[in-house]
Amino acid sequence: MNAKLGTTFMSLALLLIAVPVWAHHAFSAEYDASKPLTLKGKVTKWELVNPHSWIHIDVVGPDGKVTPWMVEGGSPNSLLRNGFTKNSLPAGTEILVEGYQAKDGANRAVGKDITYPDGKRLFLGGSAPGAGGGENP
Amino acid sequence: MQIGFKSWMLLAATVAAGLLFTRIPSKAQGGAAAQAQTYRAPRTADGKPNLNGIWQALNEANWDLEAHAASQGPVLALGAQFSVPPGVGVVEGGAIPYKPEALAKKKENFANRTKEDPEVKCYMGGVPRSTYMPYPFQIIQGTGTIMMAYEYAGGVRIINMGKPTEAPVDSWMGWSNGRWEGDTLVIDVTGLNDQTWFDRAGNYHSDALHVVERYTPRSADTLMYEATIEDPNVFTRSWKISMPLYRRVEKNAQILEYKCPEFAEDMLYGHLRKQPSK
Amino acid sequence: MKHLYFAPVCALTIAIVLLSSVNAMGQAKAYTPPKTADGVPDLQGIWSMLTNVPLERPANLGAKEFYTPEELAAQAQRAAAGGRAAAPTQPGTTADVHYDLSQFGLDRGHATVASSNRTSLIVGPEGKVPPLLAEAQKRQQERAAFQREHQWDGPETRPLTERCILWASEGPPMLAPGYNSNLQIVQGPGYVGIMQEMIHDVRIIPTDGRAHLPQGVRQWFGDSRGHWEGNTLVVDTTNFTDRTAFRGSTEKLHVIERFTRTGEETIKYEFTVEDPSAWAKPWSAEINWAKTTGPIFEYACQEANYGMANNLSGARATEKKAAEAANKASQEQQ
Repeated sequence: MNAKLGTTFMSLALLLIAVPVWAHHAFSAEYDASKPLTLKGKVTKWELVNPHSWIHIDVVGPDGKVTPWMVEGGSPNSLLRNGFTKNSLPAGTEILVEGYQAKDGANRAVGKDITYPDGKRLFLGGSAPGAGGGENP
Repeated sequence: MQIGFKSWMLLAATVAAGLLFTRIPSKAQGGAAAQAQTYRAPRTADGKPNLNGIWQALNEANWDLEAHAASQGPVLALGAQFSVPPGVGVVEGGAIPYKPEALAKKKENFANRTKEDPEVKCYMGGVPRSTYMPYPFQIIQGTGTIMMAYEYAGGVRIINMGKPTEAPVDSWMGWSNGRWEGDTLVIDVTGLNDQTWFDRAGNYHSDALHVVERYTPRSADTLMYEATIEDPNVFTRSWKISMPLYRRVEKNAQILEYKCPEFAEDMLYGHLRKQPSK
Repeated sequence: MKHLYFAPVCALTIAIVLLSSVNAMGQAKAYTPPKTADGVPDLQGIWSMLTNVPLERPANLGAKEFYTPEELAAQAQRAAAGGRAAAPTQPGTTADVHYDLSQFGLDRGHATVASSNRTSLIVGPEGKVPPLLAEAQKRQQERAAFQREHQWDGPETRPLTERCILWASEGPPMLAPGYNSNLQIVQGPGYVGIMQEMIHDVRIIPTDGRAHLPQGVRQWFGDSRGHWEGNTLVVDTTNFTDRTAFRGSTEKLHVIERFTRTGEETIKYEFTVEDPSAWAKPWSAEINWAKTTGPIFEYACQEANYGMANNLSGARATEKKAAEAANKASQEQQ
């Protein structure tokens, strides 16, 4: 049969500016736009939960003191559909987090960009033309 | 015709002999299990045992899986209305076989149950608790997939009836691979997180929990439900619960919406409310 | 004539645009859907609701309801060439305070989108949601004003999504939330089960002709009853609460949905909404769904809703800071 409607797979560089409503949701209440930060630490736990996943890391300060941080990320459901599993980010993995700190001063941040120490993006790459494809490590 | 004494004796002897040699089902095979062996469920249009419908447990397992007497409930202000009803228990063999240190944790759970029981926070019941919470659930048998929709907190499970797959992640309602064994639906459940409890008494498990469920049609309106529970982190051996499930036969039986997050908001977030300015 | 466009994309997606030669909807050859063992049309499977068609028609298009094949081809070409990518956010701004969607595969590049030649999901020459009736508009404004004043007071004044009660787009009518826009349909004798990924809500729709729930019983999702008309599942939903507020609707909201399998990989989803207290007339929309690879993973919201506590905590911290600053300022003035 000749289905009159095919299926379209589109790249991110798309017809529409898809700025989702939720991008401006209560993150602005939870995190402080005036408190950007960069964290470097070793993963202790990866919570694959909804509505947001959380990466827990131990950050070692210049004085050698270890501070646990939790970093907020997106829903993991699409990662799971793309072959990631709960074992994809093992404890001990070192990562770099660029993001913003919690307004209430807690050791909590939203991770705007998360990479390995070599600069490779964690999880999936951006799909803008020319951007490197991120793959399941 | 007159029947003589000899004839009566002969008749009596024959009957007695017959009784002597009659096979009486042994206790182990009696009751529900024997009935299950003889009952054959009707089939769906694609030839599978038909378990479609709305079902509900009718026992006190959600209060406490083990046999227990009536006792004071956790909220004194609700008096007898929210007291613990007595139950004969659903654990085969009587007691849950905890490791000694795990039993201490169970007791700690019980002491903190008004704050720690996931049911208080409107968290999904997990497996097997969702089966015996005192609310109905519905089985919808589709092609290659069975949907189980639970009324409480809108819990739902998709049972994969095709080739078994592995859970890439842990979840509240687990990862279910199902198959038929005769009339019995057997579901192997893995990928359960460590957050659910088995009941309101603080009986708990780790994320190593592995549950094998068996749903066996017992009659037109009842199923026998058995669940074998295995968790080497918490228990000394695997153990089993069993109970009948009853069909909700009312013509207008329906799984209604039980969205409870708003009912848990005060106990979860009340302390973060804006205080009226002084 | 078919055109194929390839675009450079991330390793895990494919960009192939397939255009059919059909210009307007309804002129294609009729498709006979497979049937379930019970003999009704088979809608089962995992479907993506995501669409590139906006709900309302862009103003400059007027009464134009469909794009021509040439216009669609040009759009696809622009998209393949890079199109209008989302502008990068500026550091230090509210918009920048967010995780990267594409990093988590939550962007459109990692989703399945059915093609469509519609200019808007809403059908008809206007292509817009009708204006709200005066009373409904007043109520909407009052609610918005209250929200502005009280939005951080406590959980009760937070959005339904944030409270994990339901996702705003779940309806009915069901609209794509933007990511995880998937649902799964399972059909058993006399019932159709529809599970939306966000937030694991199941609509159980009986097709045995039974009556709706009594008027006094209201549900967030209303109460649905289905029946078959030829190859189409028609679902009638009433009994909404007055807090559902779909685009300003009241408890009188009445939704009629139609599900038709239009191909191996597609479903046409239509809905009509009416609410005599909200709109002067009913309005309708049509969306194409595409079959997608699952599975649908559990989206347990309430259970890990750190956000609610964090947001309220953040709001209290902000207030405290503001109060301290005000105190300090007034002390300095003395």
